[in-house]
Amino acid sequence: MALIRGRDRGTGAAIFTASMADIVFLLIVFFVLTYKVEVDKTQMNLPETWIRKKIPEKAAVISIAPPDKGSTIRVSTGEEMALPVSTIEEVITFASTEVAKNPNREFILKADKDAPYGRVDEVLDALKQSKVKYIFLLSEQLTAAEL
Amino acid sequence: MNIKKKEIASEIFTGSMADISFLLIIYFMITSAFSATRGLDFALPEETDTPEIKQEDAIEVHVMPGGAIEVDKKDLPIEGLLPYVLEKLLQNPDKPVILRTDPDATYGDMISVFDRLRRANEEWTEPVEGSEERRALYQDVHGKDLTEIKTISIPTQREIENIWNLLGMG
Repeated sequence: MALIRGRDRGTGAAIFTASMADIVFLLIVFFVLTYKVEVDKTQMNLPETWIRKKIPEKAAVISIAPPDKGSTIRVSTGEEMALPVSTIEEVITFASTEVAKNPNREFILKADKDAPYGRVDEVLDALKQSKVKYIFLLSEQLTAAEL
Repeated sequence: MNIKKKEIASEIFTGSMADISFLLIIYFMITSAFSATRGLDFALPEETDTPEIKQEDAIEVHVMPGGAIEVDKKDLPIEGLLPYVLEKLLQNPDKPVILRTDPDATYGDMISVFDRLRRANEEWTEPVEGSEERRALYQDVHGKDLTEIKTISIPTQREIENIWNLLGMG
């Protein structure tokens, strides 16, 4: 017996977009909350370490650029954009001012892994002379395969 | 004459909301900095509580250009660093490690050795089941747990020169 088919109901192919607005707002809220202004935008290859501790927010930043960018030293309070300094005395002045405001002020040393250690040594010495107590050496995660 | 007032429907135009939202998302995605927020912590000693470290009492690690290391004036592969330090600390757990780096070496060379020394805690302990604590694998000569290197000193070139000058060897 032949079945009598009903008329084909045209099923409209449509993408459900009602929740798109929610997703978009969720993404905006996420980015607004996690948004951080990078105080030092110098492109560099950070050294890789296995041990990595969380760095406190708003710590003062001292960066040392790679040798091909002249190993320039830049300083930032952690809230303003980093500014280049030309002498190591300026680093001492900057660090001393920050320590005078807060004796437990933390400093981040952001240096390229190819920076000559002599340059890093000068900065570490300046921080020691300025009576800085805590330094964080910024690094990338060393993976198990690289061990 | 009766003039009929036209009713103007009051509504907020939302047609461009999607465009604005996507523009904001793209802006935040591009400018958001997923920068590194972790690193090696390093506490500098305060002058008042700095114990005087005599060179002969310490383990001296010298980082050479290229990343090779000399420990107590002997060449040592980096893999042999922690076993050597462990052997010394088992005899004297208060022995400090002095990390000196050649000015011509790179910062990366120094960091890899410093990181290796800081890994002592992970290598000399094992996790305790069902707990976040770790159990010491070694005991020193006094029978106390040895879990880490107590003092890692990183003297600067100026401090080293000052010591040499004090010793009259400058």
